[in-house]
Amino acid sequence: MINFQLNKNAVQVDIDPDTPLLWVVRDHFKLKGSKFGCGMGLCGACTMHVNGQAVRTCTLPISAVQGAVITSIEGLGTVDNLHPLQQAWVEHSVPQCGYCQSGQLMSASALLAKNPNPSDDDIEMAMNGNICRCGTYSKIKSAIKSVSKSASKSAIKSAIKSDAEAMRTQGSMVGTFDPASGTIISKEANS
Amino acid sequence: MKKASMTRRLFLLSTGAAATGLIVGCSTAAAKDKGYSAIAGAFEPNSFIQITADNQVIFYLPSSEMGQGILDGLTTLIAEELRVQPTAIEVRQASLHEDYKNPEMGMQATGGSNATRAQFLPLRQAAADTAAAIRNAAAKQLDQPLDKITLADGQIMVDGKSYGFGEFVAVAALMSVPENSPLRRPEQFDQIGRERPRLDALAKSTGTAEFGIDAEVENLYRAVVVRSPVLGAALKSFDASAALEQSGVVNVVEIKSGVAVVAESYWQARKAAAVLELNWEKSELGLWSSDSIYNKFNETLNDSSQKGLECCDEGEGDKLLDQSATVVAADYYAPYLAHATMEPLNCTVEINGDACAIYLGTQNIQASAGAAVYYGDFDADKVKVHGAFLGGGFGRRGIGDDVAEAVLIAQQTGRNIQLVWSREDDMNNDFYRPAALVRMQAGVSEQGLIETWAVRRVGPNIMGYMLDEWVDALAPDYLNKGFIDWLSKLGQPIFNRFIADPSAADGIYADYDAPNKAVRHVTQDPGLRTGFWRSVGHSSNAFFKESFIDELAQRAGIDELQFRLANMQNNPRLIDATELVAAKAGWGKPLPEGHFHGLATHSSFGSAVAQIAEVSIKGTQIIVHKVTAAIHCGMVVNPGIVRDQVEGGIIYGLTAALHGEITLVDGVIQQSNFHNYPMLRMADAPEVEVHIVESQEHPQGVGEPGLPPLAPAVANAVFKASGQRLRDLPLRLG
Repeated sequence: MINFQLNKNAVQVDIDPDTPLLWVVRDHFKLKGSKFGCGMGLCGACTMHVNGQAVRTCTLPISAVQGAVITSIEGLGTVDNLHPLQQAWVEHSVPQCGYCQSGQLMSASALLAKNPNPSDDDIEMAMNGNICRCGTYSKIKSAIKSVSKSASKSAIKSAIKSDAEAMRTQGSMVGTFDPASGTIISKEANS
Repeated sequence: MKKASMTRRLFLLSTGAAATGLIVGCSTAAAKDKGYSAIAGAFEPNSFIQITADNQVIFYLPSSEMGQGILDGLTTLIAEELRVQPTAIEVRQASLHEDYKNPEMGMQATGGSNATRAQFLPLRQAAADTAAAIRNAAAKQLDQPLDKITLADGQIMVDGKSYGFGEFVAVAALMSVPENSPLRRPEQFDQIGRERPRLDALAKSTGTAEFGIDAEVENLYRAVVVRSPVLGAALKSFDASAALEQSGVVNVVEIKSGVAVVAESYWQARKAAAVLELNWEKSELGLWSSDSIYNKFNETLNDSSQKGLECCDEGEGDKLLDQSATVVAADYYAPYLAHATMEPLNCTVEINGDACAIYLGTQNIQASAGAAVYYGDFDADKVKVHGAFLGGGFGRRGIGDDVAEAVLIAQQTGRNIQLVWSREDDMNNDFYRPAALVRMQAGVSEQGLIETWAVRRVGPNIMGYMLDEWVDALAPDYLNKGFIDWLSKLGQPIFNRFIADPSAADGIYADYDAPNKAVRHVTQDPGLRTGFWRSVGHSSNAFFKESFIDELAQRAGIDELQFRLANMQNNPRLIDATELVAAKAGWGKPLPEGHFHGLATHSSFGSAVAQIAEVSIKGTQIIVHKVTAAIHCGMVVNPGIVRDQVEGGIIYGLTAALHGEITLVDGVIQQSNFHNYPMLRMADAPEVEVHIVESQEHPQGVGEPGLPPLAPAVANAVFKASGQRLRDLPLRLG
C-alpha cells in the first residue's frame, strides 16, 4: 500500500509498485489533466510537482512517492480559482492543441515558486524539458514573464506557502526524484 | 474523485463566461433531419445552431480542433451574424452527418487548411438566417413592424426594451426559416477581425480540455499492440504464454497489424507486451535501407528512359532550356519525416450489442466511423464517433488505422477497450512525409528573367496509401468487401503509373512567371507508407524551389529579393507579402556581426507567405536568431490565431529543417522517441515576428502556409553565412 498526498488529499493505492505515477493519477484517480507523451521523461507532458519539484511522472514509479506531496494540474488551480500562471496562459492565448500545456504549467509554476523573478536563461533552463509541438514557446515565455513582473507575487507566495505547509504536515519519509540520475533520493522530511 | 465522462464534457471557454462545452450529442433521438439531438422547446433552424428557451445558443462545430483555432474561428462567424458574444456560445463537436461535410472536400474531415475559407459564407449564412428568423418571430409575437426590431449583443431590442432570444424560440420554431438573409458587411464586423483570447484557452490551461486519451467508459480495459519492426510485415507466429501470466492481463489476441495485449491498466498491458514472443515474415520493405533508397532514387533520376508522369507542361516545356543566357541545374533531397503529434494515437471503443461507440480525436470523423463499419461489420447507423480535442493532428489523425485496431481488439475480446500507442509505436508506424530527390533546372535571360523552369522529381506518392485506407472506410457498405479491398488497392497503380499525385508537384512551379515550364514525377517507392504531413508536398517542394531561386539570383548577380519580385509579376499576393517582410525585417540593412538574412517566399493553401531568417554559424551549428514573416491570407477572423499558426508552422518547420529525418536499416526505422527524433525546444526557438497583409479578400488557409518557406529561408541564410549551399534536408554543415 502506497500512501501519499495528492492535491492536498491524503490518498492510498494498492498497485504494482513499478507503475508510473502518471498512470496512477490518470487511470486510478481519474485525474486526466496530466498527459502521456513519450514514456521516457523526454517531453514533459506528464510533469507534476513532487515535493515542490517539477518531475516527469511517466518514469517515476509509484513506490517512490511513498509519503510524498504530489500536485497535478488539477491541484494548481481551478477554473474558478486560477493560479496566476493559468490566468496569464489564458490572457496570452498560449495553448494551441493544448496537450502539453498542463506539463508546461507545472514546470513554470515550480520555477516561479523557487525563483519569482527568473531571467530569460532561467526560464529556458526550467522549461527545456517540455516539448510543445505546436510551437507556443514564445507565448509561454511571455506569459511566465508577465506573472513574474505582475503584482500577483502574493499569489505565488501563497502557493509556495501551501506547498511548504503540506510538506510540513506530511512529516514522514519523502523521496525526492533526481531527474539527472533517474533515482529517488530518500530523505527525512521537514520536521 | 470525479469520473470523467466523454458524453458530458464541460469546459469553460473563457473566464467569467457561462459554462460552455465541446460536447458530443449522445442521444440517438436526432432532431428531425438535423445533425444533432433535439432539445425540447429549442429553435432548431439548421444543423449548426440550436437556441434554447433559456437563451442558450449552441453551435455544432463541423471541423476538428487540433490546435489550429478552428473552434474559435468558426464560432466567431456564428457570433458575428447572430450578434452574440463568442464567449456566450456553447460549442459542441458535431457528430457524423451529411450537413457537416466540409463544403470543399465533400467529406466530414479537417485538413488542407481550408475550413475557414470553405465555411466563411455557409456558416455566416446559417447564422444570419437564424438571426432573421428570430427577428421575424419577435415582430410577430410583439406585433411590431420588422424594422423596429434589432439584434445586439445577444438581445432583441424593440423600442428601447430588450428581450432574450429564448422568448421567441417557440414562435420561431413554427415559422419558416428565411433564406439568403443579407450578411453583415466587413465595415459592420464587430467580431470578425477582432483580437481576443482564443475560446479554448481556459480549458487547455486548467487540464480540463478532454482529449481522446482522456475517454472513460464503463468496464474499460487498456490495450497495446505489438507490431512488426519492419512496417507491414505479416505475423508468422507468436507465443503469449509469458504475457498471459503477467498481472492484470486478460487477453492476448492477434489482429491485422500485430498482437494486442489487453489488461486492467495501461502499464500492465505495456509490461506484458514486452514479454510477448513474436516471429515475423520477411517483407519487401526489409530489403531497403536509407542509403539504398537514396541510391535507387538517384539512379532513377539519372535514367532518362524513365519518363515519369507529367505534372506541368506550359509553353515549350523544357525544350528551350539550353538557349537561355544562364542555365543552372542542381539536385535537392528531402527525407522521410514522422508527424510526432504530442498525443500518441489512441482510440476507445465501447460495444453494446450491435452498436459501437468510438471515442477519439480525429481529423476525419467520417473515415473513423467508416473504419469501424468496415472492420467491425457494424451497420453504419449503429456506429457513433465521439470527437474530442486532438493533441496535435498535422495530417496524422483520421486515417483510420487506430480505429481499425481498436475495433478489432474490442470485438475479439468482447470488452470495452482503450488502445494507447506508445511514442515508439507512433514513430515506427506513421504514414510518413515522403522522401524526394529532385533535379531543378532553369534558364535565365540576361535581364534576370526566368525563361524555362524544369523539374524532375523522384520519390513515392501519398494518394495510393491514403486510398488504401480510405476506400475501405468510406466505400458504401452495400458493396462487397472483396470488391472494396480490390478497389482500395487500385490507388497505388493509378498514381504510380497513370495520374500524377497532386502532392508531388504542389508548389514546385506555380509561384514564378517563367513562360516555359516542365515538371515530371517518376514514382520510386520502397514501400514505406506515406501520408499528409503539415503542408504536404509544399513541405519539401518549397525548400527545393526557394533554395534554387537563390542559386539563380546569385548566378545572375541580382539581389535575391529583386530577382524574386521581377519574376513573380503575376502573383500579386506573394508580392505584397514579400515587400512587407522585406520592409519589416530590414532586408539589405546591416545586421549584427556574423548574422545573415535568408529570404524565401511561397504560396500554399490559398495564402502567400514570405519569411526572412536571421542566422549565424557557430562551428558547424546553425543558430536561427529570428524569423520575420508576412502572410497574405485574405480577411482575418482572429489575428492572434493567424500569427500563432504562422509561428507554429515556423517552429514545426525548423524542427524538421534542423533535425527531422526518419531513416531505415533493413526496413527498420531507426528513430523511436524524442532522444533520436529531437524536437526544437524553448532554448533553441528563435524570436518570431509575424505581420499580416491587410486585405478584404476571401479568407484563405493559415494552418499550413507558415511552414514551407522556413527551411529555404534558413538554408539561404546559411549559404550567406558559410558559403555552403545545403541541398539536403535536414540542414547539416560539413
